[in-house]
This record gives sequence, C-alpha cells and structure tokens, in this order.
Amino acid sequence: MSRHLAPLLPREDAREAALFFVVCALCFLAAFSGLVSRAAYAAAGAWTSEVTGQLTIRVRGSDADTARALAIVQATPGVAAARALDRADAEELLQPWLGAGGIPADLPLPHLIAAEAAPGATGVGDRLTAALQRAELKTTVDDHVVWSADARRATDTIGLIALSAVALLGATGIAVIAFATHATLLARRDIVELLHLTGAKDSFIAGLFERRFLMLGVQAGALGALFAFGAAAFILFAVRQGDAQTWLLPQLSLSLADGLILGLSPLIAGAVSMLAAKVTVMRSLSDMV
Amino acid sequence: MSDEPVLRFDRVGLSYGPGADILADASLVLRPGSMTFLTGPSGAGKSTLLKLAFLALRPTAGRISLFGLDTGRLKPDALASLRRRIGVVFQEFRLLDHLSAYENVALPLRVMGRPEASYRKDVTELLTWVGLGDRLDARPETLSGGEKQRVAIARAVVVKPDLIIADEPTGNVDEEMGERLFRLFRELNKRLNTTVLIATHDMALVRRANADVLRLADGMVVRAQAPPALQQDTPA
Ligand SMILES: Nc1ncnc2c1ncn2[C@@H]1O[C@H](COP(=O)(O)OP(=O)(O)OP(=O)(O)O)[C@@H](O)[C@H]1O
Ligand SMILES: [Mg+2]
Repeated sequence: MSRHLAPLLPREDAREAALFFVVCALCFLAAFSGLVSRAAYAAAGAWTSEVTGQLTIRVRGSDADTARALAIVQATPGVAAARALDRADAEELLQPWLGAGGIPADLPLPHLIAAEAAPGATGVGDRLTAALQRAELKTTVDDHVVWSADARRATDTIGLIALSAVALLGATGIAVIAFATHATLLARRDIVELLHLTGAKDSFIAGLFERRFLMLGVQAGALGALFAFGAAAFILFAVRQGDAQTWLLPQLSLSLADGLILGLSPLIAGAVSMLAAKVTVMRSLSDMV
Repeated sequence: MSDEPVLRFDRVGLSYGPGADILADASLVLRPGSMTFLTGPSGAGKSTLLKLAFLALRPTAGRISLFGLDTGRLKPDALASLRRRIGVVFQEFRLLDHLSAYENVALPLRVMGRPEASYRKDVTELLTWVGLGDRLDARPETLSGGEKQRVAIARAVVVKPDLIIADEPTGNVDEEMGERLFRLFRELNKRLNTTVLIATHDMALVRRANADVLRLADGMVVRAQAPPALQQDTPA
C-alpha cells in the first residue's frame, strides 16, 4: 500500500484556468488567421492562374480570315482548346445591354476567338501573335498577362500583409503567455524558496514548473487550434450553402500548410509557456543565495 | 567525523540595505556534536544569524564556512548539497499549505529523490513521536500553531541532518511539549552526533539543558555560558 503524494506544485484552478483561457484564445486567433490568410492566398493564386489560362483573339477581317486564324490558333503549341465565338455567343454576351430582342442584323460584330492555354504553358500569347502575323492576319491577342501580373502583385501584397498580421499576433501571443506564466509563478515563490532552502537543485525546481506549463500550453494550444479549425470549416460551410462565389475560398481539404499551422501552434504555445516558466524560475532563483 | 567546525562565522557583518548593521563582527564556531543555544532580546538579529547559517542570506562582510567549506566560493549546486545536510525549523514554519502534514514532513526526502515506500514508516513514526500520529493527512491550515511547529520540527529532522538549525522551536507549545521536542533534538545530538543550534527566548529551557549558550548583543556574539571543555573554542 502506497500513499498517493500530492504534486509539489499545487493545482491552482482559478489562476491556471485564466492562463489556460489566454493561451487557448491566442492560439485560436493565431491559428485562425493563419488558416484564413493561407486560404485567401491559395484562392487568389488559383484564381489568377485560371485567368492567366484564358486568351482572346480579335480578328479584323472576313469570316474566312477568322476560320484561317482559328486553324492557326488550334495548331499553336500550348493551346489546349480554341473556338470562334459566333453570333449566338455574341448575342448572349450583349444581351444585358441590348435586351432580349437580339442584335440588329446590320450591326457589325467583331470576330472573336476564345482560346485556353494548356495548364502550365507559358508564352502562348507571344507565339500566337507571331504565328498570326506570319499568316498576315490582322489580329490582336489579349492574353491577360499584363492584367494578371497586376492581380498577382496585389495578391502577393495581401499575402504579405496577412503574414505580417499572423507574425504580429504570434509575437503578441508569445509575450502574453510569457507574462501570464510569469505572474502565475510569482504567486508560488514560497514553494520555490522552500524547495531551494531544502536543498533542491535549480534544475529540479525549474523542472517542476516547466513540466506543468508545457502541459498547460500544449493542451490550451491544441484546444485553440481545434476551435480555429472548427471556425474555418464552419465559415466555409456557410459560404458554400449560400452559393456564393466559391472561388474566393479554397476547397475544404487540409493542405500540408493547414496541418502545419494547426499542429505547430499548440507546440509553440507549449514551448513558449515552458520557456517562460524556466526563465522566471531561474531568475527568481538567481535572486536567492 | 573530523574535528573540522560544522559552522564557522568569521567577523560576519550583515545589513538589510542601507542603515545600521544587524550583525557586525559576529564570530562563532560550532564543533561537531555540539549543542548550542542562541539567545538575545527580540530584534537582536537571532533569526538573521540563523538565516546566514542555513544559506538563506549572504553576509555583507566576513566569511561563513559550513562543514569546512567557504560558502562564499561555492557554486549553486554545491550550496544545494550543503543545504541537504542542514535541517531547518523556520520561525514562521513555512509549511506548504497544499500538502498534508505527512507530505510536508516527507518533502526533503522527495527532494532527494527517495521513493515513498522507503520512508513511509520513518515519517509516520516521527509524526507519532511529536504527537501527531492521528493527523497525518491534516492540512496545515487545520492545525494549531503548536501542531504546525511540530510538523516543521519533524520535517527538519527527518533526513537525520548533520546540522539542525531551529528558530524558536518551542515558542508555540506548552512547557511539557517543549520539553518533549527538546528531547528529540537531544536524542539526535547524543545518538547521531548531530550538531544543534537553537535560537530561543525560553530561558527556562536554556537553564535546564546543559548546553552552550551564545548571546547576541549589539550585533556581536557573546559567549554567555559554556561547559569548561569548550571554553577555549571561542574565536578571537
Ligand atoms: N528582511 C528584512 N529587511 C529589513 N530588516 C529586517 C529584515 N529582517 C529582519 N530585519 C530587521 O533586523 C533586525 C533583526 O531581526 P531578527 O528577525 O533577526 O531578530 P530576532 O532576534 O530573531 O527577533 P525575535 O526574537 O523577535 O525573533 C530587526 O530589527 C528587524 O526589523
Ligand atoms: Mg527571530
């Protein structure tokens, strides 16, 4: 029969609950903003690459010229598909402006070819321009490159801002966790002092606090990350239900980056709590003889 | 054991920040196996001297040696090893309120990494000896002042230290219990050759005990009464 010994460090429910809440909330915020900014970044990336794949060729000439141009476009390497837009397409496109009555028969319509570049193909626009020029066709190739470069720059900037926000939140979290841990520890200076005078080595005393705060940080951090995942999933679900433009949000699939964000935040929270505990205890021990 | 002094103060001075020195030029020597009382009026600096001796304070002047080692030159881990050889009864007890009486007494053994099974019998017997055999699981807050004091004494002696330093260990108990507790120190002193230093106001106890008596006055240690064989130990 062995007695069950109470831990040398008492469980202080009220104080530790407050610290648990702080760590949990900070982890939630950090992980959530990490998830959201990654999602926004991924969506913007997918969107611009989608746009980059679209090319429009305007042909100034007869129907025969358009047919000749279409053949050249289809034969150009890197083009996955191309088709000429006929009168019905044009009517559909212009319907919002001209009404359901259709286009007046005498209105000249531009000859347009819609092409789609193969995924990953580059320089398709330039090749098309060169090939059509060689065939002495008067065409304009709009490959959205200039426009999508602007869009790419914009998403890069947004991504950078989001990343900075996550970094700032993370740093704030680390500081607050360290501060809260410090405050919790100062309240138990009596135990530190008594153990010290009883002949406990510094590493023994620090170890008691390190283990406690590592566990607290990891548990609170894991709960916060779980909430962040839940919140992100809920928002995605709500948006999908509302049939909004889903390209703004990525598919609900855990990417490696998401897993990293969710998995790392509790570990970081635990490590920070543990380190803060160690530094605080060691500092208060160094004040003693 | 060698004849090396267990505790030695060489012209020790101490002041808490700016202001008058609490101790000035205090010198003393405790031989192995000696039993010494430290007396003096309230506020004379008895607790301060004991704190220096059990390494809770650093002197502002002079030198303190424990077991032949100059404490001013030791690294933290070496100081920790010295502290394990000293059992301290604090004037304000310093029991941990989240631990039971039993766990408080067992604390130094836990710090040493001893498994619970190896000391259960000793701790229980010791608490029974100080009259708390039926209060093993009591929290300090449910104990009277004298009961707390007895737990603190049990904790100080449980590791059978080489040096016991007790600050007013009988200050909160009646005469009979005071006598009983003093006998505990006496037993350890006689049987295990434990060196004992006790600060006390209890002059009746001092008179009854045949022991060395030091008096603190004006920050200096004065030998008040000593068995003849020890008289020449008074440092210059
Ligand atoms: N931490 C401290 N800071 C400043 N002054 C202190 C401190 N501790 C004690 N003193 C002062 O040092 C003096 C000696 O105190 P000490 O506790 O050593 O006296 P004492 O002889 O043990 O008294 P008592 O018999 O009442 O226990 C007192 O004047 C006290 O006010
Ligand atoms: Mg005192």
